[in-house]
Amino acid sequence: MSATTATVGEVLGDGSTGRSRAADRWRRGRPWLVVLGVVLVGGLVLTLPAPPVSSTPGAPDNPGASGARAVARVLERQGVTVDHVTTTAAALAAARGDGTVLVVGDQWLVEEQVDALAALDDDLVLVDAGWALSRLAPDVATSGEAVPRTRREASCDDPDAVAAGTLTAAGGYEDLSGAATTCFPAGGGGGAYLVLERDGRRITALSDLHPLTNDAVDEDGHAALALRALGRHDHLVWYVPSLDDMGVVGEPGSGTSLPDLVPWVRPVAAWLVLVLLVTVVWRGRRLGPVVAEPLPVVVRSAEATRGRGRLYRRARAHGHAAAALRAGTAARVAHRLGLPRSADAPSLVDALARATGRRAVDVESLLYGPPPIDDAGLLRLADDLHHLESEVHRP
Amino acid sequence: MALTSRAVLVALAGLVPVALLPAPLTVLVWALVVVVLCGVDVALAASPRELAVARRLPTSVRLSGTVDAVLTLRNAGRRTARAVVRDAWPPSTLPGGDDPAGVRTPRHRVDVPPGELRRVTTRLVPTRRGDAVADRVTVRTLGPLGVAGRQASLDVPGRLRVLPEFASRRHLPSRLARLRELDGRAAVQVRGAGTEFDSLREYVDGDDVRSIDWRATARRREVVVRTWRPERDRHVMLVVDTSRTSAARVLDGTRLEASVEAALLLGVLAAHAGDRVELLAYDRRVRARAADSHSSRVLPALAEALAGVQPALVETDWPGLVGQVRSRLSRRALVVLLTSLDPASVEQGLLDVVGGLTRRHQVVLASVADPELEQLRASRRTVDEVFDAAAAERTSLERAAVGMRLRQRGVEVVEATPDELAPRLADTYLALKAAGRL
Repeated sequence: MSATTATVGEVLGDGSTGRSRAADRWRRGRPWLVVLGVVLVGGLVLTLPAPPVSSTPGAPDNPGASGARAVARVLERQGVTVDHVTTTAAALAAARGDGTVLVVGDQWLVEEQVDALAALDDDLVLVDAGWALSRLAPDVATSGEAVPRTRREASCDDPDAVAAGTLTAAGGYEDLSGAATTCFPAGGGGGAYLVLERDGRRITALSDLHPLTNDAVDEDGHAALALRALGRHDHLVWYVPSLDDMGVVGEPGSGTSLPDLVPWVRPVAAWLVLVLLVTVVWRGRRLGPVVAEPLPVVVRSAEATRGRGRLYRRARAHGHAAAALRAGTAARVAHRLGLPRSADAPSLVDALARATGRRAVDVESLLYGPPPIDDAGLLRLADDLHHLESEVHRP
Repeated sequence: MALTSRAVLVALAGLVPVALLPAPLTVLVWALVVVVLCGVDVALAASPRELAVARRLPTSVRLSGTVDAVLTLRNAGRRTARAVVRDAWPPSTLPGGDDPAGVRTPRHRVDVPPGELRRVTTRLVPTRRGDAVADRVTVRTLGPLGVAGRQASLDVPGRLRVLPEFASRRHLPSRLARLRELDGRAAVQVRGAGTEFDSLREYVDGDDVRSIDWRATARRREVVVRTWRPERDRHVMLVVDTSRTSAARVLDGTRLEASVEAALLLGVLAAHAGDRVELLAYDRRVRARAADSHSSRVLPALAEALAGVQPALVETDWPGLVGQVRSRLSRRALVVLLTSLDPASVEQGLLDVVGGLTRRHQVVLASVADPELEQLRASRRTVDEVFDAAAAERTSLERAAVGMRLRQRGVEVVEATPDELAPRLADTYLALKAAGRL
């Protein structure tokens, strides 16, 4: 076929100038710059120091009902320095040896942490920390049943308790050795407030956080008890254990992880990130556009026939299928025997019987007999028709 | 801007100093080194927009033929352009385009000094009929270090018309020989091989005695026979149906491909026989048409017209088609319908209107038969296969019935497998011509 060659005129550049390209890039890049700005601002906001308010129960920076900011503020006004810490390591570092260490709750503490706190010289105040107390003083037991929150009288000679007079608290401790002073007993025997001296330090325990909370500190003798127990020294470490320091006693990063052992791991990791960035830029710029191929719709021609076969199968249409097979065979053998298309059934049966030597009755029942009713019958019929057809030759 | 694999290598090389002097400063300094190297390379690279690109391309190529798409690059700038050039073509035009997933457009590495010309050639082997339109030409120029460069995609228009393969041309020589036999250039053996009186000649042994012209014999005192030659200057109308039935795949190609092959063979044959050939591709509207009476121009005209024809997923508008055909034919003609003997489509469309054609014209319907149907019919080992065989049997019977009804209306029906359709249609044409039925 003739193939004349066409030459397209020379194309120089794509009609853009440096300025237009810059404008185009600026226009296309603007949304991404906005996204980048939002991400940067968001990151900056996230890295800002957390606001000096929390919602942790018993924390000195929690102004809510379950917080204890009121007590902390009053203590500060009285000249007590309050150090709010959330890890054991920080608590140990903040303790000076001549102050008070307050531990609020012990559900995040493990034995090593309690032991580390026990090794301090400071006075200890344990609030809602029965397990830690029993580890410090094995003779002290937490009251067996859950004692409900009730209003109680001091009923002891500890000056702080006497000053407080009454207290509303839950739970209680029982001293089995008799070395400790137990105050504010509930009906069951255990007292909500317990004081004992150990190795020249004073260990105070309160079975419930309730008296210290902002909500309840102005009721009963709560304020008196709290200020006297916590304000004994002019330095108070307010330790609220949290999920952050579970099981960790020492300083963070004291040389056990890989980056601390191998000094160049961090810079190399940072560098590999940069290499990845370069690779992304390298692979990201494609050499020209992707060319699409307009693909036509193509269906197999026999698909409709197969669909019809599936319909027969699903409907178990043995009769229909048999009729089709018989009609096809009849049409073919009639053609081979030279019968006209208009030939009727008896003449076809006659001609077939003569050509194959079969009995006319057999041929008739094969071609025009009752339809099969099951798979086996249909298979047998198909087989028989095939045999009949193979016996008929062109005369 | 674009980076190369070398830029990644330079970045990787930074691992050594960073590992030896593990400090944030080292990371920063080497990052700066990479950035400066890339920046300098980009600044020193020639502008890809100062490469003038011209395209040279054959306008058309036969399917599965090979063609070279040539790009001429002229450096209009002052720096040597170390360029990577990609001429983007649709996957089906590239070598190995049968499997579009694995095709990669060839890239050409070429250096063009200032003011000079360089040529890059992309070899195309189209595997699909139709118009292949070139996408943009992408030029990436690298800097002297080869770590980074600049890139631009230039619009250099290019269109390659992929003509039908005409694989059926191998049947042409034998059919042309048969045509010459008919044409009276060989001895005319059979009376009735045409209806036009050609000439008188002396009787030779073997001539039909019925063709003896007694009046001329009486004048000349020797036995003279009349010779006849087939009609010339008849009208052959090829109608290619491009509706949904033409989209169905039979063996390796669609029905339409087989129809196109058959149309080309018959068109060329008819043109050689001196007939006027006209082509119409139609579904609900005219998709293509061509008409030429000159035998040497028929094939290019038909191929050109059929190159861009693709199946459309619509039902054929048979009344519209018949109207089109009738409006184009002023006298008796051979109308060849290249469609499918699809029972539903024929019964609801063609049967009602075909009378309008057969009254004045000789109509031939050529349909592609599906060999898979025969396979389905023959395999009967399991119950599932027997059900399929029954369905195939039913389909065959329906097709036969439709064919019968068409024959009763005077339509000549040709049904053959895709490979066989073109020669069978040509044979039908020759038989009609020999019988003087055109």
